Amino acid sequence: MQLNDRPYLHWRQGMSIQDVIDERNFIYPKLVVKLNGKLIRKEDYAATLVAEEDDLKIHHLLAGG
Amino acid sequence: MERYARNASCIAEKETEYLHSRHVAIVGLGGLGGYAAELLARVGVGRITGIDDDRVEVTNLNRQLLANEATLGMLKVMAAEQRIMAVNPDVVFRPLNVRLDAENAEELLAGSDLVLDCSDGIPTRLVLEAATERLGIPLVHGAIAGWYGQVGVCFPGDKLLSKYYAGFDGAGAEAAFGNPSFTPAAVAALQTAEAVKVLLQREGILRGRLLYLDLLQHQYDVLDMGENQAREEKS
Repeated sequence: MQLNDRPYLHWRQGMSIQDVIDERNFIYPKLVVKLNGKLIRKEDYAATLVAEEDDLKIHHLLAGG
Repeated sequence: MERYARNASCIAEKETEYLHSRHVAIVGLGGLGGYAAELLARVGVGRITGIDDDRVEVTNLNRQLLANEATLGMLKVMAAEQRIMAVNPDVVFRPLNVRLDAENAEELLAGSDLVLDCSDGIPTRLVLEAATERLGIPLVHGAIAGWYGQVGVCFPGDKLLSKYYAGFDGAGAEAAFGNPSFTPAAVAALQTAEAVKVLLQREGILRGRLLYLDLLQHQYDVLDMGENQAREEKS
């Protein structure tokens, strides 16, 4: 699985987007998530599984000017 | 036109004349807005409205173009006017020392051909999207936090920001990551390029999309919010 264009070495079968977020321990909680180009809503993080060939992007939500 | 001689090839003389007839409003004259005001004035946009109710503070000195030892304590709109007049006195600059909100947004932005979203925080950005939609004006969005930035273009009806910020309020990651000097400069430059392209009806506009920049890892991604809308409508 690719996370932000790099191989994610801790991928395992049955892993959800929420699992990846928890493991990566993002220091700021507001995130924008894209799985294979599709945006995933926050409420779907736990139910959305990530396959070995998937491309996952996790960005920080930005609002500063 | 001699001052615009180096626009040539990139922007035709007729296009430069057209830009000189256009009016762009900048909401927020902080990190993004200060650079955007300068770049719009240099490229030759004829009328610029700057909207901000802040004064220049010491903590702005690390990144804001309008902040220097001489402008400390000055209203940001006056610092912007001073800077723009020093760069290009052909520009008509309208300083509005007021905080844009849901009550006054349409009145402040009416008459603009395009609005640059250089504001701070999610609520103001959503107010801006709603107001520009009602006025039928395109909005060029920019946001920053630490090493990260994003730029996108929202035409009336696109709902780019409503989709992006859905389920969130308050601030973004900027509260945790701070704001160094280079990120606002990079993002404001991209916003200005998009603004010029929209005004000149050029191709390749980031319409309905957000270009996300990670300047630390050099990861650049485009979030297609239109694609998301299509997916939601189908389901």
